Amino acid sequence: MSLKNAYRPFLVAVSALLLVSTAFAVRVGDPAPNFLGTDSNGHTQTLSQYKGKYVVLEWHNNGCPYTQKHYNSGNMQRLQREWTARGVVWLTVISSAKGQQGYMTAAEENQYLTKMHAAPTAVLLDPSGTIGRLYDAKTTPNMYVIDPGGKLIYQGAIDDHPTTDVADIPRSKNYVSAALTEAMAGKPVTTAVTRPYGCSVKYAE
Amino acid sequence: MPRLRLSSVSHWFAAAMAAFVLACIPCSAQMISAHPVTAQHLKVELLADTTTVNSAGQNFQLGLHFHLDPGWHIYWINAGDSGLPPTVQWKLPASMPVSSIGPMQFPVPQRLPLGPLMDFGYEHDVLFPFAVQLHPTAALTGSSLPIEANVHWLVCSQVCIPGKGTVTLSLPLTSSPAQPNQQTAPLFQHARQTLPRPLPAGATVATAQDAQNLLLTVHLGHSVSSAEFYPFDQYLIANAAPQNVKPLPDGFRMTILKDSSGAPIPKQVHGLIKLPDGTGYEFTAPLAFLKTTVAPAPRRGMLHVLLLAFLGGIILNLMPCVFPVLFIKGLALVQSSTEERKRLRAHGLTYTLGILVSFWIIVAVLLLLRAGGSHIGWGFQFQSPIFVSLIALLLFFLGLSLAGQFEIGLSLTSAGGELAQKGGYTGSFFTGVLATVVATPCAAPFLGVAIGYALIQPAFVTFGIFTALALGLALPYVLLTLQPAWTRLLPRPGAWMEYLKQATSIPIFLTVIWLVWVFAQVAGLNAATLALPAAFLLTAIAGWAMGRWPARAGSTITAIILLALAISLPIVAAKYFSTAASATEQKNANGLQWEPYSAQKLADYRAQGKPVFIDFTAAWCLSCQVNERVVLDRDDVQQAFRTSGIALMRADWTNHDDAITEALAQLGRSSVPTYVFYPGDATAAPDLLPEVLTPGIVLDAIHAAQKPQ
Repeated sequence: MSLKNAYRPFLVAVSALLLVSTAFAVRVGDPAPNFLGTDSNGHTQTLSQYKGKYVVLEWHNNGCPYTQKHYNSGNMQRLQREWTARGVVWLTVISSAKGQQGYMTAAEENQYLTKMHAAPTAVLLDPSGTIGRLYDAKTTPNMYVIDPGGKLIYQGAIDDHPTTDVADIPRSKNYVSAALTEAMAGKPVTTAVTRPYGCSVKYAE
Repeated sequence: MPRLRLSSVSHWFAAAMAAFVLACIPCSAQMISAHPVTAQHLKVELLADTTTVNSAGQNFQLGLHFHLDPGWHIYWINAGDSGLPPTVQWKLPASMPVSSIGPMQFPVPQRLPLGPLMDFGYEHDVLFPFAVQLHPTAALTGSSLPIEANVHWLVCSQVCIPGKGTVTLSLPLTSSPAQPNQQTAPLFQHARQTLPRPLPAGATVATAQDAQNLLLTVHLGHSVSSAEFYPFDQYLIANAAPQNVKPLPDGFRMTILKDSSGAPIPKQVHGLIKLPDGTGYEFTAPLAFLKTTVAPAPRRGMLHVLLLAFLGGIILNLMPCVFPVLFIKGLALVQSSTEERKRLRAHGLTYTLGILVSFWIIVAVLLLLRAGGSHIGWGFQFQSPIFVSLIALLLFFLGLSLAGQFEIGLSLTSAGGELAQKGGYTGSFFTGVLATVVATPCAAPFLGVAIGYALIQPAFVTFGIFTALALGLALPYVLLTLQPAWTRLLPRPGAWMEYLKQATSIPIFLTVIWLVWVFAQVAGLNAATLALPAAFLLTAIAGWAMGRWPARAGSTITAIILLALAISLPIVAAKYFSTAASATEQKNANGLQWEPYSAQKLADYRAQGKPVFIDFTAAWCLSCQVNERVVLDRDDVQQAFRTSGIALMRADWTNHDDAITEALAQLGRSSVPTYVFYPGDATAAPDLLPEVLTPGIVLDAIHAAQKPQ
């Protein structure tokens, strides 16, 4: 091996790292990526601080008819109450960029939460889209369930009726509830990946 | 920001329906009547390609026509990262069964990027046709055929608005054949052109995947430099990932990042290929894992490989470069007496330790290089002119000593009872080291398999294999020291020992000749014809000085200086006069067109369905040269290659080349010679030929590779 190749191991290591960070989006079964965000009360939120608990991530855009379907019907709030009462951490994430549909200031969001009687553990304001892109969030709503070990166990739609019709909710199978129920019973999650439905996340261009 | 107003749509619709019902009571049955729906950002209408329908039944087409506001889009059947395709529910008169209307047909979509997301859909204007097949004896009743469609859609720009509406169309029923609708004809005509088509006759699409990518190889009969791929399945590709197109003479090859959500990748690919003119071809193809690598050959068990390495080590003892070393050690045993038995054992073990330590150092270096990401293979040491010249000088020095010019300090030639001396243990240890060093040029072809396997295994396996190899190399001598009784089988000591010792210098010098030739390939003619012989001369003078005035400080210092000069001369020459030959240039003279190996070229040929034969060779590889001269250059083999249409490539590994080392590693090899046939079918596994070729093996492989898969 000639001397001029001595730098190669470093190049290889660096490009391997780059590859890892770009080629892999979140994958069910893999550790969910940690994130650092600020919630609507100005507190710092990380995924790692909830180690040992189930965490639900809900991508949110209050102007999106699909999100409205679950909030106007009270479905989302019901889920938030039901699962946070059972020790689950529910983080709502808003990745709409400033000027885009669904963008909220902290004050606006807190008003909205009160008005809608929503009960998430916290709402992460992510106008830069950092957390959204980290999780490859595509739609609102787009749901993720993370187990106490930090492993992603569900990603995809909220339920099996990709419509805006409130009347569909009672006859829908809620994938988030199903995943949490199964995981808490020590069973593997039957439906671990579904295609999320809804409006596209309004990322900054 | 436009917001959804579902209720407004339905209110509007109710009003429209009422208007329609009122308006149509006096309508003539002989007139076509259609009622579109206008909603936020779009207008949708139901069209037919005829103005009337024959009441006795006939085939015609319906079409759902969307007009979209600029910047707004609706979705294809697979909407991509977000979005939903439009859906329709029919409400038909009793005499017309719902099954008479075929499924909604989706024209070829376009890519709709949204920040980091990618959707598939339509902008501006799109018609979704439906084939209507009415039984020839349908017996439709009434004077007209009122058709109602409940349509749901999602229309998006930056924001999304779901909508629904009921569009209607009433076609007059007549007893005469249907009249084509001149007004809608251009729309239907356009829709027909934008619907996906089956692949043209003769065209093929092959799909394969590796760990990260989906690979499409499309043969259309003409070169394509730009194309898009649309999957019908949700979890096949990363929708927003760039679709890299590589033109081929008769089509193209595309690489796309696979979906990474963790959902199972479908077993077959159902997709659309869209060309720049808008033409879309629909295809289904089984999705196989790309076999660029040979399944770790007939999966040899670990034990099997260890045994093979051990046997290989034993056989190494018989190699021309190792045998003299061992032979001389053996001679020492002949002369030793039985009371030295204990010491002999200790020497045998020290010798084994010398071999083991040398091999472990080699393994450690290899593993470190591998961990550092370097691609290495067996024989890589011959890519270094420094290594080659050092070994050549060492063997030349050894040869001189064997021939009787001088006695060197190592117990190599100390056939006397020096074993009893204190320094003897160091001697035994370094004899082991020397045996290992001189063994490296002689790693026999069968060792290539074991070493190749070893280099791609986890560290402990690599370590185990090299240890087995070392123990095999040490075994014969150790057996003799452990059981000195066996030395009685050897002839009694005598003058013959001196003759034999001198005679063993002959294979050593032969090896030197070969190394000179190798050096010439790696370092060029100037260095090999001038610097290396000069270095030999210096070595010879040093040897002479040591032999003529043994054990004198003056002669030892002179010898050391001369040897240092001898060692540095070829190294400097190789650095400054290097005009390395290449195995490829030499061989192109023989008529066959050998292209230099390139992974891209190989991929292209495979994509074209052209079988490829690759000769992995190096100028310093003797068995490569033998195979090329004796087998590949034979007239009948050349003739078979010429008529086969097999692309020929030569991967010249004379000098370090990462791409070739990588290619070898993919084949589970790490040494040359390696011969491989890639069949035309891109998903089929390549066929590795043995390291020792015969014309029969090559001819059979040519026939096999030609066979249509």
